[in-house]
Amino acid sequence: MPAGPAGRPVALVTGAAQGLGHATALRLAADGFSVAVNDISDDGRLAALADRAAGLAVPGDIADPDAVTAMTAAVTARFGRIDALVANAAAMEMGPFLAQDAHAWWRQIEVNLSGHFRLIQAVVPHMRTAGSGRIVLIASGWGVIGHPNATAYAASKAGLIALAKGLGRELGPQGILANAIAPAYIDTEQLRVDASDAGITLDEMRQRYRDLVPTGQLATTDDIAAAVAFLAGPGGSAFVGQVLQPNGGVTRTRA
Amino acid sequence: MSGSDGPESLVAVITGAASGIGAATAERFRRHGWRTAGIDLRPSDTDLPLRRDVTDAAGLRSAADATIAGFGRIDAAVTAAGYYEEGIDVCDITRRQWDRMLGVILGGTVNTLAAVLPYMMASRSGSIIAISSELALAGSATDLHYVAAKGAVLGLVKSLAAELAGTPIRVNAVAPGPTDTPLLAPDSLWRKPEYLATLPLRRLVRPDEVAATVCYLATEGAMYCGEVLSPNAGAVI
Repeated sequence: MPAGPAGRPVALVTGAAQGLGHATALRLAADGFSVAVNDISDDGRLAALADRAAGLAVPGDIADPDAVTAMTAAVTARFGRIDALVANAAAMEMGPFLAQDAHAWWRQIEVNLSGHFRLIQAVVPHMRTAGSGRIVLIASGWGVIGHPNATAYAASKAGLIALAKGLGRELGPQGILANAIAPAYIDTEQLRVDASDAGITLDEMRQRYRDLVPTGQLATTDDIAAAVAFLAGPGGSAFVGQVLQPNGGVTRTRA
Repeated sequence: MSGSDGPESLVAVITGAASGIGAATAERFRRHGWRTAGIDLRPSDTDLPLRRDVTDAAGLRSAADATIAGFGRIDAAVTAAGYYEEGIDVCDITRRQWDRMLGVILGGTVNTLAAVLPYMMASRSGSIIAISSELALAGSATDLHYVAAKGAVLGLVKSLAAELAGTPIRVNAVAPGPTDTPLLAPDSLWRKPEYLATLPLRRLVRPDEVAATVCYLATEGAMYCGEVLSPNAGAVI
């Protein structure tokens, strides 16, 4: 039975140590969820986040089936339920298609797509028992329109979009609503990495990305967390198999 | 959720506010502390009921003026005015039926946008949300004039969104699935169990679910530009 505050719904967010996953965990906690937070390892940030999110830290590599089983068991042992799953963890390694190392290519598929496939398999039985549930898959605008030098990442994210549609049709009749979100350029820690890789300053990187967005804005992590909260919350009850695209028009103008 | 009478509260103009999706949207905005101006042929349960015909461009301009006179601002405009006719073979749709449908749904949307946009441009903020239909995405038989009008609204929304992308004004659409409103007759095809059984959620959409989507776009939708959000029970995936 729930160990947390009685009646509080429970969410599991992968890739929550920083960036979008972190913001999403805090938003869901503010909306009344107890939030179990996962990342590949915990350097202390995950436990600190769990404290703030009325939740539980469940570190582990979602590409590892045993870790997926263990983290799901830990969440249900503690809370007795999983009401919402937010599939956010992602690996990304850019490079020209023909030059990509096969291991690096498949690692992105393993984490982003197959890892979440196994996690959904582990979580759905608990949602079925409850007769309801929400699955929010964090895809990417690149999964909608593609991107040069990002074939594995784009393929994995396009796979998540198709997964949301298939799961929407398959699980919708059981009250389990699966949807996806396709953000594009978000102002996160990743921009520092991108700037460093490109040999430019962070501000120059921000401007370079803004120039790619019709509205000229980078999304904040809170913008995307709000989309997750909408789909996972009471307002999202008629959404199934959809792809929300809060990306400033990046996908609408090219797709 | 408080301070609905305070000078700071946000203002929404909603067409078709007297019933169905428009009424549910007005009710939800008010619950969240917004002030509402309701445009409809009939009186609406809003803070400023304005009886207008959306095909009357001058009437809508005066409605926008009255909203500004009363509340000083327009933060969101929602175009929900419309009506529905089904069960008409394409060859039997009269010119009059076609013109009226296009006039109310597409013309009404154009008139509303033209009335509120000058104020939004002046304040450099605003969210425009047009109510379309999943039929505009999927197509449909025996209601071709309605589908064409709702599809045209999507073209309008996407183009206006692109035109205004460089401003802080956002333009998007909501395309609900068949929704349980008075627009659907008791014997409507969309209420039949055989049809509902084909939907992943096996049911009609509720007006408050469409309203929740509209409010989400109006309050936290700054990153949507020319998007179509689909609370449709899985009717189009």
